[in-house]
Amino acid sequence: MSAPHPISLKGAGVRYNMRLKRKRSVRKSVTKAARLDAQGYFWALRDITLEIQEGETVAVIGANGAGKSTLLLMLAGILEPDEGSVAVYGSISTLLHIGAGFDDELNAEENILLVGAFLGIPASIMKKRVPEILEFADIGDFASAEVRTYSSGMRARLGFSVATAVSPDVLLVDEVLSTGDASFRDKARARILDLMKKARAVVYVTHDLDSAASFCTRAIELEGGKIVADGPAKSVIAAYQAKMERKSKGSS
Amino acid sequence: MATQPLRLTVGRPKQGPVGTIAETIKSVVHRRRLLLYLTIAKVRQDGGNSLLGNLWLVLDPAIQLAIYYFLVGMVLDRPQPAFALFLFSAILPWRWLSMALGGAANSVRVKDKVMRQIAFPHIVLPIASLSASSVSFLFGLLPLCCLYLIYPERLTPWVFSFPLIGVVQLLWMLPLAILFSALSVFFRDVSNILTHALRVTFYLSPALFSYDRILEILEERPPARLLLDLNPMAWILTAYRDIFYEGRSADWGALLGVALASIPFTLVSIYLFRRMAPSFPKVL
Repeated sequence: MSAPHPISLKGAGVRYNMRLKRKRSVRKSVTKAARLDAQGYFWALRDITLEIQEGETVAVIGANGAGKSTLLLMLAGILEPDEGSVAVYGSISTLLHIGAGFDDELNAEENILLVGAFLGIPASIMKKRVPEILEFADIGDFASAEVRTYSSGMRARLGFSVATAVSPDVLLVDEVLSTGDASFRDKARARILDLMKKARAVVYVTHDLDSAASFCTRAIELEGGKIVADGPAKSVIAAYQAKMERKSKGSS
Repeated sequence: MATQPLRLTVGRPKQGPVGTIAETIKSVVHRRRLLLYLTIAKVRQDGGNSLLGNLWLVLDPAIQLAIYYFLVGMVLDRPQPAFALFLFSAILPWRWLSMALGGAANSVRVKDKVMRQIAFPHIVLPIASLSASSVSFLFGLLPLCCLYLIYPERLTPWVFSFPLIGVVQLLWMLPLAILFSALSVFFRDVSNILTHALRVTFYLSPALFSYDRILEILEERPPARLLLDLNPMAWILTAYRDIFYEGRSADWGALLGVALASIPFTLVSIYLFRRMAPSFPKVL
């Protein structure tokens, strides 16, 4: 038997029970999309069949609400599929929202260990990384202060440094390149590219089509929770851009 | 090509109840560090942002004792000998119960952000909340030591058997904490109802009055009597009172019964929690 692909999905779907969902605004906006089934479930993703092979860097593109983030959450194991199956092999890092898991009452080092524990990284590895993480985050004397005293930029830098401290097999990125000020942004971009090179598979959700075309090998377009295009990054993105242009012309 | 076969990290096949429970317990053992850090953070959070900080862990039970001492002792005029110690032997475990369940009920809900960002076994949240409340329980032992300075004749070696009773109480609170934490994700009212339910059961337990006095009151009302006997907290409170106040051995047989009864209850609660957990990031 050959080695399994890092990521494979078979007919996977995620649904939301709209009666349990509290946020009114979300409810309104999605009912408009008319993707509710007979039982009143909203399918954020449906019928996703996808294999991502060793060495691929896949861009996920599509309009807001197309299911891009839900796809990442499912690959990360945060959402379980309600139908079909998901299989991801190897360690996973998610760069979704930066600063996840921080506790305001703990200082930088304690938070690094806390987030490491949330991620399931052994404490011995995480402890060794602490000086390196603090240096990359560049928070100086604040390292021993509680995180609640941090500026939002410091918080974001520390969050990014922790999230990218360990090199994963599968990297899931949701547009985080806009962290911090200009100089940190360059440093962050370099580190993400480095992690992408080392990872066996990368899934990258973005609206930045040009950067996606430049470093992704493959692109998937989602629309209404379904895959509508899948192929080499350059051609899928070019077709998507042409479609968007036609749409904006048509509406104006 | 892969140099070594990679471990399956997401998408483990669904299992039956026994497999689900075993896997959940394993995942908690695996994340014991996370439990430790979450407990430290919670204890600090409870003391944080206040002038006196963690001193409140000692002050809170002491003040509560003072209030009940004056209310019940003087107004209702039913003092037992060494009344302060009598009261405190009930206040101490009761505070633990109400902090444990109140904290656990909110434990999952307040972590909505992390749950949408990192995949981890959510069940560590109520367990960490429970262990943080145990820390406050231990701090409450300080005022108890002071009471023994006032009533030195009540101090017997039986006092030191309190960890055993504590373990029984912990075992009994664990399934409740797990269940309430999951339910309050779907129904926010759970924590409100819990506050009132705890207050009612406090007055129904032999906390402010002796067990015998309650029996007297309940003599003519057999259904209420049955309710008292079925309340494990009544057994636990009586045990604390035996060792802290009466200076005698607790009814270890009854405690063992409570402990054994809570094991299947805990396993069921773990299973139910695990079944509800996939919905948490969707609902919150």
